[in-house]
Amino acid sequence: MGIVFTRLFSSVFGNREARILVLGLDNAGKTTILYRLQMGEVVSTIPTIGFNVETVQYNNIKFQVWDLGGQTSIRPYWRCYFPNTQAIIYVVDSSDTDRLVTAKEEFHAILEEDELKGAVVLVYANKQDLPGALDDAAITESLELHKIKSRQWAIFKTSAIKGEGLFEGLDWLSNALKSKSG
Amino acid sequence: MSGHDSKYFSTTKKGEIPELKEELNSQYKDKRKDAVKKVIAAMTVGKDVSSLFTDVVNCMQTENLELKKLVYLYLINYAKSQPDLAILAVNTFVKDSQDPNPLIRALAVRTMGCIRVDKITEYLCDPLQRCLKDDDPYVRKTAAICVAKLYDINAELVEDRGFLEALKDLISDNNPMVVANAVAALAEIQDNSARPIFEITSHTLSKLLTALNECTEWGQVFILDSLSRYKAADAREAENIVERVTPRLQHANCAVVLSAVKEHQSDCSKRPTILAHEIKVFFCKYNDPIYVKMEKLEIMIKLASDRNIDQVLLEFKEYATEVDVDFVRKAVRAIGRCAIKLDRAAERCISVLLELIKIKVNYVVQEAIIVIKDIFRRYPNTYESIIATLCESLDTLDEPEAKASMIWIIGEYAERIDNADELLESFLETFPEESALVQLQLLTATVKLFLKKPTEGPQQMIQAVLNNATVETDNPDLRDRAYIYWRLLSTDPEAAKDVVLAEKPVISDDSNQLDSSLLDDLLANISTLSSVYHKPPEAFVSRVKTAPRADDEELADTAYSESPSQGVDGASPSSSAGTSSHAPVKQSAAAAPASPAPMPDLLGDLMGMDNAIVPVDEPTATSGPPLPVLLPSTTGQGLQISAQLVRRDGQIFYDVSFENGTQAMLDGFMIQFNKNTFGLAAGGPLQVPPLQPGASARTLLPMVVFQNISPGAPNSVLQIAVKNNQQPVWYFNDRSHLHVFFGEDGKMERTSFLEAWKSLPDDNEFSKEFPSSVISSVDATIEHLAAANVFFIAKRKNANKDVLYMSAKIPRGIPFLIELTATVGVPGVKCAVKTPNKEMVALFFEAMESLLK
Repeated sequence: MGIVFTRLFSSVFGNREARILVLGLDNAGKTTILYRLQMGEVVSTIPTIGFNVETVQYNNIKFQVWDLGGQTSIRPYWRCYFPNTQAIIYVVDSSDTDRLVTAKEEFHAILEEDELKGAVVLVYANKQDLPGALDDAAITESLELHKIKSRQWAIFKTSAIKGEGLFEGLDWLSNALKSKSG
Repeated sequence: MSGHDSKYFSTTKKGEIPELKEELNSQYKDKRKDAVKKVIAAMTVGKDVSSLFTDVVNCMQTENLELKKLVYLYLINYAKSQPDLAILAVNTFVKDSQDPNPLIRALAVRTMGCIRVDKITEYLCDPLQRCLKDDDPYVRKTAAICVAKLYDINAELVEDRGFLEALKDLISDNNPMVVANAVAALAEIQDNSARPIFEITSHTLSKLLTALNECTEWGQVFILDSLSRYKAADAREAENIVERVTPRLQHANCAVVLSAVKEHQSDCSKRPTILAHEIKVFFCKYNDPIYVKMEKLEIMIKLASDRNIDQVLLEFKEYATEVDVDFVRKAVRAIGRCAIKLDRAAERCISVLLELIKIKVNYVVQEAIIVIKDIFRRYPNTYESIIATLCESLDTLDEPEAKASMIWIIGEYAERIDNADELLESFLETFPEESALVQLQLLTATVKLFLKKPTEGPQQMIQAVLNNATVETDNPDLRDRAYIYWRLLSTDPEAAKDVVLAEKPVISDDSNQLDSSLLDDLLANISTLSSVYHKPPEAFVSRVKTAPRADDEELADTAYSESPSQGVDGASPSSSAGTSSHAPVKQSAAAAPASPAPMPDLLGDLMGMDNAIVPVDEPTATSGPPLPVLLPSTTGQGLQISAQLVRRDGQIFYDVSFENGTQAMLDGFMIQFNKNTFGLAAGGPLQVPPLQPGASARTLLPMVVFQNISPGAPNSVLQIAVKNNQQPVWYFNDRSHLHVFFGEDGKMERTSFLEAWKSLPDDNEFSKEFPSSVISSVDATIEHLAAANVFFIAKRKNANKDVLYMSAKIPRGIPFLIELTATVGVPGVKCAVKTPNKEMVALFFEAMESLLK
């Protein structure tokens, strides 16, 4: 049964890696999330001037995860990474309420992109461990997620530091990708 | 075009770049790697693959070292053309510089140093800092070189981040390779810096000497080079250094040997004989490469002296029997040059040459005859007894130069050779087939023979030769010479005798005679290309880095190495304004105190612009309008400096005056200009006499342009440093007003002005109001501006306003097309300008406003 199942998957995905972009404002926790997913550890990070790319294997799916620097100066170059992207993980610092508007604008600008039309969207309402962090409902509200039409999306409360919520999100993501290609 | 033709413009073929792009984004690693290889291949054959920048950079994070290296290679090549996107690589560099593999760490830091993009250098400082303190010496030594590279891009950053201190710490590193690279980096930085940065102390000296024995050969070169700049504190220390360095002379790598020699020379510059004792070191080994042998021969010739000549001759003789023809020839020549150089050894040299001739090896004999000819000229009437021996080998000569030499000998000594006519006749048979060199010699020799032995045989010969050389030949030189002889002989044979058989000046060995200042320069740069070219590095390197002359305390001790040496040796090969050849500068400096001074401008008119440098001790020098004070005496501890750029007779000068308000005499004034938009630099040494308390001096320092250009947007700031022997270095700012660059060639014809105006787009037109300027008379303004090389072209009236059209030009042919609009007598002038170089417009308005004040 197990073997059949694997074959089924490989027929669906081949050896393909799902290409995933991790986007979000600077200091949202993208790099920490990436390495938490990849190594299961919290690494100390510095602002990413450029990108990180790692392969994360989860639920029999290989994710090629691109973590792109979120600083204003680098955001214009995100578009270089858009082609062939299956999913976007958008990371929000839920405690940084001042910049939620900016986060929302960047988010919707991304959704407008032609090259990302087919991409599934997963939002991480990160830094839930911090006091004053907004919950998923509040973030949904501020990012105006309900405006999203004709696209699968989900939001999860996460704390990269504690490792909470990340894999739940990934579960949703792998199912979403499977159903999309199946 | 009808609608369906559009199909020709769409194609199903993607072309190479999109295909590569797709492959680079493949999810298969192998495919990506192959794609990067293809990209690099395309890059190396010169295709522009810069549009794939992000796609290639995205392959950078890989554990595959080969792929990583390829991506790095790509980055080095294209980061400059994609400066914005280069930022995407930063994070990978940062990560790689912390990789567990030291090879990757070093690779990252090395590549970072090669990426010369301002925007990202800042981000690279942290990784560099880490790598300088890396556990692995390979990483540290790579990082050390990276600091030097970074200094070249952004010196300030390097200093702010304390990298210089880190480098100096590395001199005490326990790994000799790291020490060597730190030294190399510091030396390079020093070359690029005006301030003293790297000075060897007795502490670092011992570190360097220790490292010298342990590091690789190129490391030794760096250390030796830096040692050669060090001035030993006392004789014991010097002796210690020489002792430690001497073994390097035996090194297999010639660069090491050369650097060691250089070190020796600087240590022992007062004792030039030092190397004479070491001449054995330069004896050629049989397995030396040919170019080293050749160089060694040259050195041996130079070192040959009465004391060691026997030894040297023995060596030369041996070389002359080797198999390599070129080397043998050179050895034979070397013997001849020694004979010419050392009169007491000449006889011994000749006997060696005769021995060699007896070997009867064709090319040895020919070469020997060539040098013997020179020996005859050097020592007339001394060794002619050997002519007989020479004549024996006549038949073997087949090379033009040897033949020509032999013929010269026969002609010159015709009266002593019984059968001179026969000998010459044998050559004459083949006259038409000989090369021009031989023909000329034959002609002259026959004339000589005829003058010496005016008998029938020679007379027939001369007829034949003159006929051959005038009628039958196509060579104008030969024909000219033949006609001259012919006329001489036919008009006045006695005069011909006086001319043809005149005493010849004695020759000397001039093969290594160089101007002594040039020689000093070359010595300072030994083991570099300049010692091969025999030219100072400034003459063939565009970015001048002058090695301070080790024997010149003044220069070695201070940062002022650049301007004085440039001034002496003529360091401005490229710029047109800078070609005010420096020889006259020297002349005027030497001649000035002796001659009374007429008006400087007159002198300039009479003798060319170079002489417009007015020696400071002349009264006229202190005339002229007062100069703006740049360094008030309160700042200068009593010294006041006033200065201004001026243009005289097409040459830019720095009109500068010094007032000594201190209680002591000030002397040894030097000046240096920081990098600036126009690359202004001193075109000669600053000539200021020692200033007694209360005295002042004013001088015109000739300036050159495009010497040390600062990058970035044009500005008029001119940063200047002045030093003297008594005070600290003074730094102050001046402004280089654009109008001093307005050239005398700025005048345009009406039609070309109109064409130029029309051809420039409207984007290139700018205008500005000068509210406080007044034109009180159009003619006076035209005249005034013409004096400043702003040339009048046309004028018209528009209502009550006068509109003037003018032109000016700055170096490199950048024109300014000017339109001035004003009402005579009413304040306010509108200045419009069109120029291809928009960046200069702000400076231009600044200049015009000051001219219209």
